Amino acid sequence: MAVAAAAAAARIWGSSRGLGQAGLLLLRRPGAWGLARSLPQRRAQQHFPSLDDKPQFPGASAEFVDKLEFIQPNVISGIPVYRVMDRQGQIINPSEDPHLPQEKVLKFYKSMTLLNTMDRILYESQRQGRISFYMTNYGEEGTHVGSAAALDNTDLVFGQYREAAVGAAYAAKRANANRVVICYFGEGAASEGDAHAGFNFAATLECPIIFFCRNNGYAISTPTSEQYRGDGIAARGPGYGIMSIRVDGNDVFAVYNATKEARRRAVAENQPFLIEAMTYRIGHHSTSDDSSAYRSVDEVSYWDKQDHPISRLRHHLQSRGWWDEEQEKAWRKQSRKKVMEAFEQAERKPKPSPSLLFSDVYQEMPPQLRKQQEALARHLQTYGEHYPLDHFEK
Amino acid sequence: MAALAALAATVGGLLRLRAAGAEGQWRRLRGAGLLRGLLQPDSATGVAAQRRHVAHFTFQPDPEPQEYGQTQKMNLFQAITSALDNSLAKDPTAVIFGEDVAFGGVFRCTVGLRDKYGKDRVFNTPLCEQGIVGFGIGVAVTGATAIAEIQFADYIFPAFDQIVNEAAKYRYRSGDLFNCGSLTIRAPWGCVGHGALYHSQSPEAFFAHCPGIKVVVPRSPFQAKGLLLSCIEDKNPCIFFEPKILYRAAVEQVPVEPYNIPLSQAEVIQEGSDVTLVAWGTQVHVIREVASMAQEKLGVSCEVIDLRTILPWDMDTVCK
Repeated sequence: MAVAAAAAAARIWGSSRGLGQAGLLLLRRPGAWGLARSLPQRRAQQHFPSLDDKPQFPGASAEFVDKLEFIQPNVISGIPVYRVMDRQGQIINPSEDPHLPQEKVLKFYKSMTLLNTMDRILYESQRQGRISFYMTNYGEEGTHVGSAAALDNTDLVFGQYREAAVGAAYAAKRANANRVVICYFGEGAASEGDAHAGFNFAATLECPIIFFCRNNGYAISTPTSEQYRGDGIAARGPGYGIMSIRVDGNDVFAVYNATKEARRRAVAENQPFLIEAMTYRIGHHSTSDDSSAYRSVDEVSYWDKQDHPISRLRHHLQSRGWWDEEQEKAWRKQSRKKVMEAFEQAERKPKPSPSLLFSDVYQEMPPQLRKQQEALARHLQTYGEHYPLDHFEK
Repeated sequence: MAALAALAATVGGLLRLRAAGAEGQWRRLRGAGLLRGLLQPDSATGVAAQRRHVAHFTFQPDPEPQEYGQTQKMNLFQAITSALDNSLAKDPTAVIFGEDVAFGGVFRCTVGLRDKYGKDRVFNTPLCEQGIVGFGIGVAVTGATAIAEIQFADYIFPAFDQIVNEAAKYRYRSGDLFNCGSLTIRAPWGCVGHGALYHSQSPEAFFAHCPGIKVVVPRSPFQAKGLLLSCIEDKNPCIFFEPKILYRAAVEQVPVEPYNIPLSQAEVIQEGSDVTLVAWGTQVHVIREVASMAQEKLGVSCEVIDLRTILPWDMDTVCK
């Protein structure tokens, strides 16, 4: 019906205008006398310019082009990497210096180094069998600390769970909570369907969320060349209509600046931001991994020696006279002591009571679970000697 | 078989049965899909057996409830709308979202709600079930009430990981520091005869052994509104399956004000002494007929139980 009307319109008004008028007809329900009845209403509506100017598709607004040409993905010179310091810790462009007070920058440094110390001690403790599993942060301390420092205490942090982060951001927006949600994930996790869903929902539902991607070069043993073929993760943002930036993740000031500005605008404008922090995973994926199986020791050594977020910040601090060798030695000793004390205290604590296996499955414990809990208690009463019950709370 | 006469009036299922051309005392009725032929004897006077022309069951409304105040004639989708309306009125944090819910939904369950409560509370999402459920989990984690719609239960599978690995375990894995208890997922459920592979499924069994969630299937408009309100208010993530064949076909007097039907409580619809028949959703109505037939033709006394909540299920009532 609508097609016949469209053809008729084209005949009457000529092909260039007729199709536009036909478009109008297709948008409204044509009656039996569709053309005649809608004519005066059409005159009163918005005047469409000549069709040659612009397509009218609801799905996309862009110009016409009459040359067949595919868009070439740009991976050679893709999105540039924003940085504030050079590798020696010198500020490159003074107008990008966040001008943070000394105590704040020292807090950055101490957080990064304390984390590094904790990583060393805990990795060792796994090798000694004192804990079962550990994942280190070597090389990525800048991304964690720089971004966290830019947030408020009441902001919500999701370490994965990309779509849930978007839902939380939506609820925060409705509640006028002045909170941003930040969601951290790696370049490998960005391949999951969750990431696509998260980006698309955040953009369409206008959520105050920062998607923070730590691109450290590897997902366990999978290098980025096998993870994606486009220009990293930052290039995907514009595809969803998301403001995006790529930063040097080993430059704590660059990470800080980008996150700070993203936070301000996400909350003010209720829109998502995507930050891709480029960095390098110096350590193994976990204590279950030996990365020499898939990468060279030289590659790792380069990053450890030549481009490390902690060294870079230390050089910066030293050049400003805010840190020296003596403080470094004292702090290393102090941070080791702190970690060891906390570790030993934790080691002394017994594990949770076995009865807690059944609680918090639901808010209330249903009868079936209660029966199982009681059955376990009876079992342990009779056969408790066969279990390491001394390590557990009663 | 007065029930059969009532069948002709039911809409919804729109199934056509063709009687076999066979001669003989017994006429077999054939139908598509789930419909089983009912063997109909000719009556003693030789009058032609009644034929089913539409659905394979008769919806049996319950008597008008007296204890919840004023009632109104509602079909299933109107009862759902009423429950959702009550929820959004009572709870300012409540939001409804999913594919096509803004204009009222493909089954009209959300008609009028966007105009009444605003576009920030009743809104469309992109076409992505894992996103819908994941997003809903996030809303619920902040304490707001999230009512997610999956357009057909057949499409719940992309969200299976979110439901089983995330929603069901949220409270447990955080030692009750966090939870998504204020999440409810609704989905049209069950066969209609022409729905084929992807508009007919009843996937409750896939969820039936997943600790941490609740799974509910109502048999009627009155049951649906009370159970849905209980799901929404329950402090655990719930999946609420709505028998789509009943959306228009089931009509009952339903209270206008909110009321709750408890979860994890089965209902003994008919007492009996020889055998127990347990059903949920549409099949409750089939089972009721079966119980009458068994009594009439076999002299067997059946107890009919509507399970209502599949998980956690009411073991005591069934096993008593």
